Amino acid sequence: MAKVLMKGNEAMALAAIKAGCEAFYGYPITPQNELPEYMSKHMKANDRVFVQSESEVAAINMVYGAAGAGARVLTSSSSPGIALKQEGISYIAGAELPAVIINVMRGGPGLGGIQPSQADYKQITRGGGNGDYYLYSLAPESLQEAVDLIKESFDIADYFRNPVMIAVDGLIGQMMEPVDFENEVPKWDLKPKTWAADGDRTNGRPKNIINSLYLDPAVLEQHNFKLQKKYQEMKDHHQRYEMINMENAEIVIVAFGSTSRIARSSIELLKEQGINCGILRPISIYPYPEKAFKEIPSTVKDLLVVEMSTGQMIDDVKIANECRLPIHFYGRVGGIVPEAEEIVNKVLEIVGGVK
Amino acid sequence: MFMKRITIVAGHYGSGKSEISVNLALNNNIDYIVDLDIINPYFRSRALSDVFEENNIHLVESTIKGMLNSDMPYVSGEAAVPFVRDDITAIYDLGGTENGGRVLIQFVHRIKNMDDIDLLYTVNIFRPETATADLIIKAIHDLEGEAQLKVTGLINNTNLMNLTTEDEVLEGETVLVEVSKKLNLPIKYTVVEETHDFKHQFKGERITLSRLVAKRWL
Repeated sequence: MAKVLMKGNEAMALAAIKAGCEAFYGYPITPQNELPEYMSKHMKANDRVFVQSESEVAAINMVYGAAGAGARVLTSSSSPGIALKQEGISYIAGAELPAVIINVMRGGPGLGGIQPSQADYKQITRGGGNGDYYLYSLAPESLQEAVDLIKESFDIADYFRNPVMIAVDGLIGQMMEPVDFENEVPKWDLKPKTWAADGDRTNGRPKNIINSLYLDPAVLEQHNFKLQKKYQEMKDHHQRYEMINMENAEIVIVAFGSTSRIARSSIELLKEQGINCGILRPISIYPYPEKAFKEIPSTVKDLLVVEMSTGQMIDDVKIANECRLPIHFYGRVGGIVPEAEEIVNKVLEIVGGVK
Repeated sequence: MFMKRITIVAGHYGSGKSEISVNLALNNNIDYIVDLDIINPYFRSRALSDVFEENNIHLVESTIKGMLNSDMPYVSGEAAVPFVRDDITAIYDLGGTENGGRVLIQFVHRIKNMDDIDLLYTVNIFRPETATADLIIKAIHDLEGEAQLKVTGLINNTNLMNLTTEDEVLEGETVLVEVSKKLNLPIKYTVVEETHDFKHQFKGERITLSRLVAKRWL
């Protein structure tokens, strides 16, 4: 299939179908409604399961059940809806089940607004629910990247037996771009789901039990250690990032998703003014790409974090930066998207004006 | 006059309705632009209210006045005015898919005849839901069923944004010619973005499109 023109929410839905998603459970919320709407038509047409549940809590527990039975399963929502799903997400991680969750973020806190935001960063990257767990979390900046990452995310979830979060903001959900669905994506080495409670014991296997309850503290501690091993593997081998325009850069913008996309325009405007500005773009926001900070060239004197939040990523930048460079911040919130010129002005303020 | 007094721009969501509506309104000294998109949360024509004001175009919003992000499916009673006053020219920007057409039912009893009204169906064949003549014909029938009005013409808005080539627009034209023959509908416009220097004489009148709505949002 050649390129087609898609809206972000549609493109993400179709990517999941292409990845072999067998079941979708969700509840409507702006700005991600086109995703379940697309699924409601196309899952049925592909002989798969679509349920619009009575609530977000019901949806995530259906995800829990389907994942436990061994299905490739997806849910999507936007910030307040994702907040409602946290209990179920914690159970899914605790029971070591694969699932893909798409969060098309909008402004908060509370009901907030319907315009784009990145203010769920802490909730996403710190687990979100109770207990010691994390979600492998990816933050694409274009529709093509969103499609490619979603196609791969089902493999990642199966490989780790852990939920994967696709973190985009409303802009990515609503914008239109040409997309190619046939792009090759990495295939992960997956074992058969012998753990699944699929009701088929004709091979004489013992009962499989899906559970996150461990009343014996010694057993629960071992279970937690087992989970931590997975997170350590993510950190050691699966950090993802892109380094942009680093050669001779004097300042580096750290930004993900839509914000890094806008920063790409900013660095072109800065070039015209004789300023070399790089972009360190986290693609995985958990695990945070700490390795990228070791690759920042010695010409760089400052870091500028740009986010559609009040600075939720700064802590991670501080940890990765290890006190080497001064860290500055520019953010817009409440659904306001920063303009390329605003970022340019902030860079000029830091480096001391036009060269 | 090439343009009818009222032009209703319909199509699948993401087919380009809002950009086309805004460009048509600004280029033709239209009196009213009526934003009937009660579906889309972003990229709506009403975001350009200041541009309309500068150009003396009266904006009728499909939201409670000034509440751009209320996310409420509300249609102002004022949206009926161009159907009852024949001295007013208007562009109607519908919401996507057949559901967008349902909003029109409330005006149907006010329409005495369709002579001065165009209901145009916008097509981009690179949108998978309207990729073939059969899909487009089904979508048009679905829309007509919901709107209780007949589509009177087609808009070829085939594009892959900045990647569009002249041949791709022609590919869209070929598909639309098939639809045009089967449904006996003219291709009223072909859209070419202002940044593209396409020399071909496409079917219908050319809309040289400036991306005003997207620019306001991106």
